[in-house]
Amino acid sequence: MTQDQTNLLQGTLDMMILKALALDQMHGLGISRRIEQITKGTFQVKPGSLFPALHRMEEEGWLVSSWGESENNRRAKYYRLTKAGRRQLESETQRWGRISLAIARALEAS
Amino acid sequence: MLSRMTNFWRNIFAKEKTDRDLDEEVRSYSDLLVQEKIREGINPEEARRAAKLQLGGVEQVKEEVRRARTGAWLDSVFQDFRYAARTLRKNPGFSAIAILTLALGIGANTAIFTLTYAVILKSLPVPNPQQLVRYTFRSGVQDLGLSGPLYDALRKHEQATQDLLAWTSSKLAVQENSAVTNVDGALISGNGFRVLELQPVMGRVFTDADDQPAGGPNGYQVLISYSYWKDHFQGSPSVIGRSLIINGKPVTILGVLSQGFQGVIAGERADVVLPLSFEEVLNAPKPMRHHPGSFWLTVIGRLNPGATLRNAQSNLLATQNSVRDEADPSHRYLSGFFAAFQLGAESGRSGRSSLKIIYSRPLIVLEILVGMVLLLCCANTALLVLARVSNRLREFAVRSALGASGRRLFRQVLSEVALLAFCGLLAGIALGWLAATSLVSMLAAIGQPPPLDAAPQAAVLAFTAVISVLSAFVAGAWPAFRASRVAPILGLKQNAVAASSRALGKWIVPTQVAVSVVLLAVASLLGQSFFHLLHEDSGFRPENAVMADVDLTPNKLSETVATHDAQQIVDALTSSTGVDSAAVMSSPPLKGWWSSSHYYSLDHNGAAHTDMQIWPEAVTPDYFSVIGTPIREGRAFNRADATAAQVCILSVSAAHNFFSGEEALGRFVYTGGSDVSLDGKSPASSQDTCQVIGVAADARFESLREPPERVIYHLIPQNQVGSDFFLVVRSNNIPVATAAIREAVRKTVPGAPEPTVFTFDQLVVAHLHQERMLSALSACFAAVALLLTALGLYGLLSRNVVMRRKEIGLRLALGANPGDALVLVLRQGLRLVVIGSVVGLIAAVATTKLLGTLLVGLQPNKPLLLIAAVTALFLVALAASCIPAWRAARVDPMEALRYE
Repeated sequence: MTQDQTNLLQGTLDMMILKALALDQMHGLGISRRIEQITKGTFQVKPGSLFPALHRMEEEGWLVSSWGESENNRRAKYYRLTKAGRRQLESETQRWGRISLAIARALEAS
Repeated sequence: MLSRMTNFWRNIFAKEKTDRDLDEEVRSYSDLLVQEKIREGINPEEARRAAKLQLGGVEQVKEEVRRARTGAWLDSVFQDFRYAARTLRKNPGFSAIAILTLALGIGANTAIFTLTYAVILKSLPVPNPQQLVRYTFRSGVQDLGLSGPLYDALRKHEQATQDLLAWTSSKLAVQENSAVTNVDGALISGNGFRVLELQPVMGRVFTDADDQPAGGPNGYQVLISYSYWKDHFQGSPSVIGRSLIINGKPVTILGVLSQGFQGVIAGERADVVLPLSFEEVLNAPKPMRHHPGSFWLTVIGRLNPGATLRNAQSNLLATQNSVRDEADPSHRYLSGFFAAFQLGAESGRSGRSSLKIIYSRPLIVLEILVGMVLLLCCANTALLVLARVSNRLREFAVRSALGASGRRLFRQVLSEVALLAFCGLLAGIALGWLAATSLVSMLAAIGQPPPLDAAPQAAVLAFTAVISVLSAFVAGAWPAFRASRVAPILGLKQNAVAASSRALGKWIVPTQVAVSVVLLAVASLLGQSFFHLLHEDSGFRPENAVMADVDLTPNKLSETVATHDAQQIVDALTSSTGVDSAAVMSSPPLKGWWSSSHYYSLDHNGAAHTDMQIWPEAVTPDYFSVIGTPIREGRAFNRADATAAQVCILSVSAAHNFFSGEEALGRFVYTGGSDVSLDGKSPASSQDTCQVIGVAADARFESLREPPERVIYHLIPQNQVGSDFFLVVRSNNIPVATAAIREAVRKTVPGAPEPTVFTFDQLVVAHLHQERMLSALSACFAAVALLLTALGLYGLLSRNVVMRRKEIGLRLALGANPGDALVLVLRQGLRLVVIGSVVGLIAAVATTKLLGTLLVGLQPNKPLLLIAAVTALFLVALAASCIPAWRAARVDPMEALRYE
């Protein structure tokens, strides 16, 4: 069942990650907590989906990573948006805006 | 794109570092998670547990990431191959047998394809070789080539081609710094290199201006081949303009030919190339350039743009009569030839290749047979791999239970087979090269170097690679499919395993049997026809005799001198110790020579009977006793005949043809066609008349495959021999006779090349090399097929005995006797063999029929041979079944029941 969910929401996950990183660089756990926070707990990102997505997006050139210290002095890998990542976020946002508007209209009409 | 490439690179080659990085990242995530939980007030122990639950497996996460990476597929392919290599190393016996089997199939195919490529497929190294057309004058496989006047006339009338070149090869005596060496050379018409579109490496090539009597304004010019330039002139650029002496004539080096060009005749070299007009020097004082009936030219044309070979052929059909009439206005020379031979046009892509004419069809046959062998090898490998897969079904079931996808298992088995095939490929190339080399040396004529290059060519290697991939797939696909379909539950059951592999054996073993029956039938048919020809009555009985080819052509002797020398040599031989008797003959039997002349006789009413195709043979008096051709009527020559009026001896069929059953002795035959010289007058001079004094048994001079030709024997010196004649020497001691021949030639003709000495048996075997090669190879293939089939059957039955051990044990315990167990296994084997044999017999009948259409002189309907083939197969199959059957009979019931 979780498998289905991630498949369904893959595009969404990418967008969520981009959005989460829009303000500041963050490590993996930070990203998943941030997504939980901005979606008010609707999306809970499991590591099994999060890490493949991060690595894939890094290969796409949307993110760059670097090792750094966490808030409580732990080594952690931090991800940051690149220019391409920002552009991607913009276009994703627009796309989603259009889609959700269209869906909303479709559901209103009856 | 670039970043993708670097990712790919990193993922594949910096794998370890990336993996460490990933490991650390996932760990730090888990640490952070634990910290988070602790901050929320959960005790550390509990926190760690909760974190682990949330994370899932660290390894699974990592695997997910790896799968998302670029190039993940390649990584897993590497993994498959590493795993395959490990499994194969762990089972050296299995691997060795599988590799050997595949290497055998791949090697055999490589060897045959090397020949096919060199003989049939290879093109001349010139631009657009597919535009070349070669003009032939053929009767069956015999291609005379064209005469000078035919070439001139054809060149004038031919419309489909831009131009025609004429080529002839010749041994040339090249003098450099006072040393004379025999060099493989050739003559080419002045337009030749324009037709071939060949540019020189250096200097220039011939133009029409260089192909004039006495060469051009600056005398004769010569071109040298690239390899001759490298070997003899160290590739020096100053070679242009240097002069050489060839056959006594000073010539100037005009250019160096392009690399790889060795003339237009396959299997020959042309290190020095002269203009065609040089023939007047070679054959002085009787040049044959303008003789209509001397056939010595290879003629090749280049098609007009847009024209096809078919155009050239139809054009030729329309013009050949005017070509003939123009080449021979007197009708004196060509009409006889045109009765037996036909002008033709064929693809000139590979130049002229007698091997191509002779071996095209045998090679097609061999390709079919060797393809069957490969099929068998693949079948055997499939059986082996299948057995391995069923041994490992538990492993596959466990892997599939642990989440390996069917595709992954399929790929894994296929990679094992691919790895086997790759090793087989390497071994096969080596094996194929060895085999091709020895095959090529089988093709060589007596005393000649191999006519082909057997070194691996790019095209051959590509072919080998392709068949290896194909065989890996054929051998591996089914076992791999089985492995991929293993249900996890099978891991827990054991006996279900056996059934699946037995089901396939039901197909593979009968297929092997069927293919073996076909190969056996073909081999016995080819072998039988070879032995039939080998023991065909040639008309010669030269036991205790050696023959020698005395080629005095480089010594440039006139026929009178050569004839005199020939007699001297025979006299010297007759008087030397260890030699019983000796004789000279002008044209050798079974050496691919073709000799023909016109004679006629007059019947009692004065009407002429002309024979346009009779083989003239000039011999010394002792010839018949030396070579063993019996005299049927009259007498043989004696020494007194030489000084009397012209006499001759006819072969039985010649006598019959001239005198149709009437008494031949004492009658006369006359030289020339009756239509030419007879015009109502009585025969011209005594020169052209000879009296028949004897009739000799028929002898086959041209070929053992065809009926004997009609022969007229003349006596030396009443008739002369050319500068290339043959000795027949009878002796009880071949080495002594050989030495005596060499000695006699050396003494009589100082500076003569060493004669080639051979026995008549060698001559027959060389003459039949096509049949010999076919029968030897098909016998090898059949033997391999039998072996593979026996192995396949043995393996299958042995497995079954192991699998049914418990059942057999139970039967024995319940009172069956060991004989029943024996019969049980034998019956099982027999059933497979019977099914295969029936299919094989049907296929064999069809295949041998096909061979009958491909190979001249093969009679396919030989039920006895088919029966023999099946019998042989049954015996081998029985032998292969015996060991497993015996094992079944020896099963100890107690032990078998306790097993498991």
